[in-house]
Amino acid sequence: MRISYEWLGDFLDLDGVTPKDAAEVLTRLGIEVESLTMVDLSQIVIGKVLEQKQHATSRTALWIHQVDLGDHVQQIIAGAPNAVPGSLVPVALPGTTVPNGKLVRDTYIAGEKASGMLCSADELLLGEDHAGILILDRGKPGDALTTVIPSQAIMEAEITSNRPDEMGHLGIARELAAGLDRPLKRDFMPAFTGTADPPGRDLVKVTIDDPDLSSRYIGGVIKGVRVGPSPEWMQRRLRACGVRPINNIVDITNYVLLEYAQPLHAFDLAKLNGPAIHVRRAKANEKLLCLDGEERRLTPDMLVIADALRPVAIAGVIGGEETAVTGATVDVLLEAANFSGPSVRQTSRALGLRTEASARFERALPPELALAGARRAASLISELAGGSVHREWADVYPRPQEPVRVNLRPALIDDVLGTHVPLEEAESILKRLNFHVKVMADGEWDILPPVFRLDVTIPEDLVEEVGRVYGYDRVPPTLPGRRRDSWTPSAPSLDRRLDSMREVLAGSGYTETWNPALVSGRNLEALRIAAHAMRVSNPLSDDMDTLRTSVLPSLIDVVALNRDRGRLDVRVYEIAAAFLARVGDKNTQPEEPLRLAAVATAGLTAEDGRVAFYRLKSVLDGCVAALAAPACTYQRASAQLFHPGRCAAVVMEGRQLGYIGELHPTVAAAARIDGRVVAFEIDVEPVLAASRIPRALPLPRFPGVERDLAVVVEETVAAGALLATIKESAGDLLELVRAFDEYRGAQVPEGHKSVAFTLTFRSSERTLTDAEVDRVMSEIKVALEKRHRARFRE
Amino acid sequence: MSDPSALTSEALAAIGKAQTEQELERIEVEYLGRKGGRVSKLLEGIGKLGPEQKASLGKAVNEAKRAIEAALAAMRAELEASRLADLAETEAIDITFPGPPLGRGHIHVLTQVRRQIETVLESLGYQVELGPEVETEWYNFEALNLTVGHPARENWDSFYFNSQLLLRAHTSPVQIRAMQRIKEPPIYIITPGRCYRRDAPEATRLPYFSQVEGLAVDKGLTVGDMKGTLLYMIQSLYGRDRKVRVRPSYFPFTEPSFEFDVTCGICGGMGCKSCRHKGWLEVGGCGMVHPQVLRNGGIDPAQWNGYAWGFGIERMAMLKHDVDDIRLFYESDLRFLEQF
Ligand SMILES: [Zn+2]
Repeated sequence: MRISYEWLGDFLDLDGVTPKDAAEVLTRLGIEVESLTMVDLSQIVIGKVLEQKQHATSRTALWIHQVDLGDHVQQIIAGAPNAVPGSLVPVALPGTTVPNGKLVRDTYIAGEKASGMLCSADELLLGEDHAGILILDRGKPGDALTTVIPSQAIMEAEITSNRPDEMGHLGIARELAAGLDRPLKRDFMPAFTGTADPPGRDLVKVTIDDPDLSSRYIGGVIKGVRVGPSPEWMQRRLRACGVRPINNIVDITNYVLLEYAQPLHAFDLAKLNGPAIHVRRAKANEKLLCLDGEERRLTPDMLVIADALRPVAIAGVIGGEETAVTGATVDVLLEAANFSGPSVRQTSRALGLRTEASARFERALPPELALAGARRAASLISELAGGSVHREWADVYPRPQEPVRVNLRPALIDDVLGTHVPLEEAESILKRLNFHVKVMADGEWDILPPVFRLDVTIPEDLVEEVGRVYGYDRVPPTLPGRRRDSWTPSAPSLDRRLDSMREVLAGSGYTETWNPALVSGRNLEALRIAAHAMRVSNPLSDDMDTLRTSVLPSLIDVVALNRDRGRLDVRVYEIAAAFLARVGDKNTQPEEPLRLAAVATAGLTAEDGRVAFYRLKSVLDGCVAALAAPACTYQRASAQLFHPGRCAAVVMEGRQLGYIGELHPTVAAAARIDGRVVAFEIDVEPVLAASRIPRALPLPRFPGVERDLAVVVEETVAAGALLATIKESAGDLLELVRAFDEYRGAQVPEGHKSVAFTLTFRSSERTLTDAEVDRVMSEIKVALEKRHRARFRE
Repeated sequence: MSDPSALTSEALAAIGKAQTEQELERIEVEYLGRKGGRVSKLLEGIGKLGPEQKASLGKAVNEAKRAIEAALAAMRAELEASRLADLAETEAIDITFPGPPLGRGHIHVLTQVRRQIETVLESLGYQVELGPEVETEWYNFEALNLTVGHPARENWDSFYFNSQLLLRAHTSPVQIRAMQRIKEPPIYIITPGRCYRRDAPEATRLPYFSQVEGLAVDKGLTVGDMKGTLLYMIQSLYGRDRKVRVRPSYFPFTEPSFEFDVTCGICGGMGCKSCRHKGWLEVGGCGMVHPQVLRNGGIDPAQWNGYAWGFGIERMAMLKHDVDDIRLFYESDLRFLEQF
């Protein structure tokens, strides 16, 4: 909300309080002032236009003015035609800087002398109005502009949603007065009431269909108004707050909205059928031509103000064009009502239309505010537009606002704040904020919040009121702690446990990424991994409409992006949840298995892919080993995203963790990645669950014996099977066996391969002899021959 | 047959002239070789000699051997010393030549910052609690006093799957779940995790982000305790010259509620362009837990009270590392990630 410093001065004495001071105090009270714009008008003078004629030779339309500046007349050229002779206008003389930053110079325009500038409201930062030169309604030529318009300071403040009362200058001023401990000059409820006969309620019939949607409707009748422009000070303040002046009646309703936070509306009484006001839901197919010139189609879940025949306003959002106050209006019906917040919000959203009024109603205004706003507006209308205000307005109030009392044990203030606030000071603060405080016999305080504070309902709310005015800066920081006789022992967090995997990955050249969990559902479908996908019903866009069922597609995109940006070798990983809807039940939360996924690029050839696959396998084995979990085994498998001949299921203790493999060429191609990409994705939680504390083994006391063995078998025989046979047939003396080479070529028959192993033999009791090892080796060979028809190369 | 002393002189002269280890080895073999060494050859025909002559020849030969061995060792030591003395010239390398690329991977900056935050709060006795990212309406909103139609709910515009399930808008549901699970205070927990809000992506916010929230439930906790905890956290992360201020604000789940700011690291609180002349940078929200929220977590507010706070990990990382666009964290451009 925009706050005019000048306007606040109506309600309290700001002597010695600069706009910056005020902004600081408000921020400390909870009204966060996000920006402060100072508009210095002291350099601008008032001029009176004596003559105006159009520039004869300029290609753009320009007007030449002779302007009386009190002691001399100056020629000034302007691009707008509205400064007709007789107008009082703000003039920036050569050498001055206009508030919008423009420096004015003596110059010639198309051969004509131009000494100074006639200013628009826009250039003076008094509003966004580009309509032309600002025309003043008073002032003496040659005087400073500040004799009629004070220098301005505009604060942009954020009002929290629990304080609709602060969405007007009176509410802001009340806070500032409490913060500064100065008296507020204005009572909440104006005394003004109308006096004209007959009673207003006899002139218009008001009915409310549903008190849940509208708890109050006041319709005040004011007859014989003179519609015209509102005074300059009112227009200036409206402009300062971003509201366009229209005519005195409409301006007054807007002015009071910006003052009391109570939205108001004025109807041309003559155009209301009945005249009657019916607060009801819209009927199907009803339409309304709104004040902004747009015709809107209404639906039955929208609340409207109707006359005897048709809707004339959308409740709490916008008025209708046909019943608006115009220059021809004589009699006015002034509406001050209360509408339900959720209903106004829903309507405003459905129409895509947020107005000053709807922004306030959405936050649930107190119905008592309606009367205060109506009285203030009626008094301003009678003062500025004439007209007679009728007595005893129609005031349909089916749900009167219930007063809320709160009991406060005053010690709670110190208990919650953690510092001592003297009771007199606490009481004084509450009173400054218009709370009634009654100290009861038992020492408790019986507190009645002011009618405009629906947000205060529990003792803690009162502690907050005291605390924020007392000043939280005065609460010393402390750390909690006391002697305890029970506790929960600490355990390393999930993330700390995963760090050992991150270390292995970092050491292997893999960089961690964090990718959005919301991805394109269409892409998941194209990859055929959308079976258990959860779709967002209100996505922002279709590339973020579904929760990922796998982390891999995100990483594939990361590879593509970094390739696009010139990186050839990309090795990345992510640790994040995948989301899998539980079958058959839409309303239960999905499974969120934590996944570790990694991808690495390789060269273009099949051999490049093969080598990369084994390297990646080492990385995965390293991650598992870093957690001291049992080693994984790999079983030939086929899975979505993976190459049919180069994919394995990753299995730990009989449980499948995920897959590792080369990406299917079509998957890489779809992501526009050239060459081979290898990847894995596993569930992390079972690995963590299987993680053990490593137990130290005694170091070997006797030397080991190493032997190499090159085994020639048919292509179809898996290295894993050979390893299993070796381990099985070797007995206790085999300490370690490792496959280190796979060879096809000249020395191996067609359809065969040679697999090379290194075997380490060791006894914990003695030094092995060659003969002993030879014996075991020949047993291994026999087993390999028998089971795999293996032959051996020397 | 030569005479042992003449042979010794000859050998010592050869050793004295030797320039390299190879020459010394050749001399060693020539004179002291086990088979065919010239010293050994002196003993050929010793069998023909009488016992006295035998003994004197044996002694002379042994003396010759020892003398030659000693000369060899001395010469070797001399050669080694001179070799070591010359290392600076003979084996100098260009130490300015850069090492080959290490090819190390990087841990994501948000992981690093989250780890720092966790470490600091763990040092105060807080424990990490985690929870689901797809939450129920009740845990995400109702349990936190954000009832249907509450005007504050527009600040937590969420992604829904149906009327009951949504992506959590904050990690506060984990606080409720933790209270329900732990049941008996004291509770000191932090809840890091991913969150989602329906905001269009821009330089300062994203529809997905990460939070760390903290919750303390105990007897007699105060706003002062909350301030102290935040100050300890901020000073531990950013240095002890930083100040924290709490500013009254509004959240339905805390009462009183605050936003907390930290002094700008560039101007130290004097006001500069980077803090928009405020001297303070907004970090997150905090407050004393609303009694109804404690009740919703199964905790009796008559016996216990608490404070809670929350902030974005991205925001902390941006402050710490001068990152000016939040989207960089999730774009996965290696040129960015490798800077940390
Ligand atoms: Zn600064």
